[in-house]
Amino acid sequence: MDLNRFKACSAAFGAERRRWPTREQPLYDRFAGTLEGASMLAEAERADRFLDALETAVPDQRVARRVVALSGPTWRHLGAPAAALTASALIGFALGFVQVRSAADTDGAARLLLGPASLQEIGL
Amino acid sequence: MKPPPDESLDHELMAAVGRRDRRAFARLVERHLGWALGFTERMMGSRHEAEDLVQTAFLRVWQGAARWQPDAKFSTWLYRVLHNLCMDQFRLRNAATGQPLDDELADSLVDDAPGNEARIWALQRDARVRAALAELPARQRAALVLCYYEERTQAESAALLGVSEGALESLLSRGRATLRRWLRDDLQ
Repeated sequence: MDLNRFKACSAAFGAERRRWPTREQPLYDRFAGTLEGASMLAEAERADRFLDALETAVPDQRVARRVVALSGPTWRHLGAPAAALTASALIGFALGFVQVRSAADTDGAARLLLGPASLQEIGL
Repeated sequence: MKPPPDESLDHELMAAVGRRDRRAFARLVERHLGWALGFTERMMGSRHEAEDLVQTAFLRVWQGAARWQPDAKFSTWLYRVLHNLCMDQFRLRNAATGQPLDDELADSLVDDAPGNEARIWALQRDARVRAALAELPARQRAALVLCYYEERTQAESAALLGVSEGALESLLSRGRATLRRWLRDDLQ
């Protein structure tokens, strides 16, 4: 009866003791060294080695980036141009609080800060 | 690859993801992407399909984090999501035996660089294992992947599959019996 159970376990769990359920491991210890038990384990080991031949690739950064991108864009994902545009808008907003003597001074100060982009180009 | 052991960190990260913390999500992906891809690839036999399904699974993580309850390990929950996605995919696609020739195997067959024979042999063996696993009914395949490759305990695997431990053992026995047929062919 126990040897039949040993055979059933080797057929289900394979040749390695660590893969057997904990409660069946005493049975493994009892029969693994016997002629019949060793023969059953040798048969199971062939299937184990066959399964071991399956390879899986290590995940690369491309896959990781795709998955993380599911959480939505970040400033880094949008890139430098968008960040520059936002910075320009913030500077323009801040300029609204700066006391200037005339409209010409305001324009001049904005262009100085914003560089080549004109106020019209960025919609301000 | 196996899930990382620090389950309490996963719970903290999921709580943060529930608050829309993208850094926490990236950290969670970093911790679990490797084993999730390996498990799914073994289930589906296709790297390309595995990447798509894992992406879908992590999208569910992002969308469902606010509702997630830490009454089980995060890895167990993710296994369940991945397993269900694989089962859905099996229902959709044709379960024909044999797999299309893998790109790497196809390339290697025309590459006569020194030392390539061993690589060709390894890739051919890999292809035969994938074909053998693909021939198995989905539940037998899932039982083998969980118990043999992922080394989940019998209790965990049975719970994930929604079966008793006795039924799991039967799935494993039948699956390995089918593999023995492939083995006989493999030795010829």
